[in-house]
Amino acid sequence: MEATKNLIWLVLFLPLVGSLIQALLGGRIVKQLGPQKGKWLMGLLAVAPIAISFVIGAFITLQLTNAEPADRHTVVTLFNWIDFTSIRIPFETVIDPLSMTMVLIITGIGALIHLYATGYMAEEKEYTRFFTYLNLFVAAMLILVLGNNLAMLFVGWEGVGVCSYLLIGFWYKDIANAKAANKAFIVNRIGDLGLTLGIFLLVTLMLTSKAGHVGSDNRWLSYDVLLSLDPSLTGAAQALGNNPGVAFAIAMLFFVGACGKSAQFPLYIWLPDAMAGPTPVSALIHAATMVTSGVFLLNRMNLLFQMSPAASAIVAIVGAFTAVFAALIAFGQMDIKKVLAYSTVSQLGLMFVGCGSGYFWAGMFHVTTHAFFKALLFLGSGAVIHAMAHNQDMRNYGGLFKYIKITSICMIIGWLTISGVWPMSGWFSKGAIIDGAIAQPYSVYGEANLGQLAGYIGLVGAFLTAIYMTRMTYLTFFNKEERWRLIEPHHQAHETHEHAHHEAHDHGPDEHGFFLTEAPPEEHAHHHELDREHTPREVPISMWVPLVVLAACSLFAGIIMNRATEIPGVSEHQHVSAFQNWLYPQGLSQWTRLPEVPHEAPFGLSGHWFMVAISVAAVAGGLLGGILWYRQIHKNRLPVNEGWDTGGWNPWRRRAMNQFGYDSAMVSSAVEGGDQLATALWKKIDVGVIDRTVNGLGRFAGGIGKVFAFFQGGYVRGYALMMLAGVALLLGYIAFKMKEREAPPMEHVEISRRVASL
Amino acid sequence: METGVPLGGYLAVGLMMFIVGVIGVVIRRNPIVIFMCIELMLNAVNLTLLAFAKYGPVNQGADPTQTAMAGQMMVIFVMAVAAAEVAVGLGIIMAIYRLRHNIDVDEMSVLRG
Repeated sequence: MEATKNLIWLVLFLPLVGSLIQALLGGRIVKQLGPQKGKWLMGLLAVAPIAISFVIGAFITLQLTNAEPADRHTVVTLFNWIDFTSIRIPFETVIDPLSMTMVLIITGIGALIHLYATGYMAEEKEYTRFFTYLNLFVAAMLILVLGNNLAMLFVGWEGVGVCSYLLIGFWYKDIANAKAANKAFIVNRIGDLGLTLGIFLLVTLMLTSKAGHVGSDNRWLSYDVLLSLDPSLTGAAQALGNNPGVAFAIAMLFFVGACGKSAQFPLYIWLPDAMAGPTPVSALIHAATMVTSGVFLLNRMNLLFQMSPAASAIVAIVGAFTAVFAALIAFGQMDIKKVLAYSTVSQLGLMFVGCGSGYFWAGMFHVTTHAFFKALLFLGSGAVIHAMAHNQDMRNYGGLFKYIKITSICMIIGWLTISGVWPMSGWFSKGAIIDGAIAQPYSVYGEANLGQLAGYIGLVGAFLTAIYMTRMTYLTFFNKEERWRLIEPHHQAHETHEHAHHEAHDHGPDEHGFFLTEAPPEEHAHHHELDREHTPREVPISMWVPLVVLAACSLFAGIIMNRATEIPGVSEHQHVSAFQNWLYPQGLSQWTRLPEVPHEAPFGLSGHWFMVAISVAAVAGGLLGGILWYRQIHKNRLPVNEGWDTGGWNPWRRRAMNQFGYDSAMVSSAVEGGDQLATALWKKIDVGVIDRTVNGLGRFAGGIGKVFAFFQGGYVRGYALMMLAGVALLLGYIAFKMKEREAPPMEHVEISRRVASL
Repeated sequence: METGVPLGGYLAVGLMMFIVGVIGVVIRRNPIVIFMCIELMLNAVNLTLLAFAKYGPVNQGADPTQTAMAGQMMVIFVMAVAAAEVAVGLGIIMAIYRLRHNIDVDEMSVLRG
């Protein structure tokens, strides 16, 4: 470990270097080598840094697993970043199971998404700009997870926000995309504000409690000091324990930050709009990186949440509500990417349930498996969209299975995984969360076991997930009728969200992507919109290889990561999930007041029969019910309830389509309300009070000036007279004063006589 | 045993010269005459300075020679300053004349407030 720990800098800086190469040399190289070769090379240069980072990360992780559980923690310092007398913040990374898990997710899935994007974006004019942002995104995310202090976490946090803004608004010529990018950025800023205030409050608490100055080399914002329970280091635990109110406030502020990035209920509204970006971006943002950072933050700062059970209960309840709310909205969506976006929000809610119930490892477990199957689903949907001439409306799909077999099989695996079918990974990770939440005695508020309640609500969310994912799958792949054949010529069905995409296309001879083996379809030049003669084609190999890899991960990751392992150093008969053992080998409770979490593994291992029964009931009920319902209805024509005329829909589905009015209410209250507030402030306060005060002062001075201007007549002789009068008055006054005072005795002598006498 | 002009005589002449100068400055509109009147006032002051240098009171313990010298030095300074002032002033008057072909001071009122 010691010898190889510096390799971590390669992991961190390779994507950054890749981004710089794309930004500084990309355009020139493409121009020099011609679009085809140039794009091939730049695609290679985009994928390579991430892939190498992944290999190095895997190597380091392997070494970490070989180390003793207690030694699985290494801090690598590069230089002193901030150095004051009271605080020192080095530029340092931490190598521990949590950070390396995230690194593997980010670089592994990131590399697959990059590979996919070389095919997906092959016709894009601004190819290198895209990969500049994409590499930078990965680099920012790596700083976020690898940084060993809150300052570095914050740098990564903001970097990720900026990159998501740039990527969502990649096709910025379409005003809708620019608006979506703005929305994502602004809503994220609200979360960032919470995180910022949380860090400030934590720093203030540490400074006022005089903690962190003993034996910690002033590095008290670094995790290994801040979160340590070692009494010689005096981390935050004692200060937090002494101030439960402040601990609650800090935990809630961090939770607001996590809500922003991980799209939880009050702040989720940016994520569905983020679909405006290219599909690989949706996959990268929704699966591997940005949205997981909130769950990562909860895991990293789990000390905070364990110090405040009330905050944990709020996390669990908000997560559970989000899980169900987003799942309901997903029923009303016709855009295939929107369905997946809301399912992401819903799954993130489940992760928060896990973290809020004290099962932080289960939250991270679901992050990992969700990264696999959600990347799979997004890339699969991208393949579908690619095959369907960039039309995203499921009403135009149907019966695609026989055209795009590989994509379809991968998507079906993704569907079964997210629904939670045994033995796919979704079953284990969702099970771990729900099982843990229901079993735990931790996030209890008064008499109410809120964590348990959240667990049951999460189960309802899982049930709904199985149904709406079945709906998506059936609308897209299984149906006799190929609905795009019904499109009238010049039908209004071309309301695609990717108009700008077409404008940005190169129509030159550069239609070969990286690894694009087939000849580019001839119809590309004239066939940009879906019409009735369209024939869906399987995507190029660079696009389906990532799908197959992710499908394999979705299938097997759960069963591998959840296999029973013994707790090191504890009795031989106690078994826990391998992932829990890897992430928190010592258990959380050894250094917190969290009540001993029952170390029993969830269903897959030794689950209680009741838990297994209700989980199976939820998953099987959802899947079978969904299959029966959508198979029956969708055998032939699109039913009224799914049709083009939303007026014929069930009113509840119409409401779901509009997010139950939440989004528009937020927009009208925040945007228009803010506009009205600003107008009122402008007219009443700025113009009415401030301007009038300032202008009044000016007029007052002007009035006084007018009085004196009377004396400034411009006539020299007038001035002379005034001077005379003034001098006369002054002299008169002095003479008057002199007369009052006894003059000092003077010798009146005729001087010339005196002089003569000398 | 008073001989010569007494102190009061000098002061009376100085006062009259000063008043003539003041009245001239206030009532005349020709800047050259105004200058002459200013000179008149300066010289009135010079006269009083010299008179006091000759007859004036001396502070207790001060050297009377130095007092006399101080008065006369003051006069030299005043004359030097007056000469410089006239040089500058006449220059300004010439410049104004070139610009406007008129040197009536009442016409020069662009700087009024």
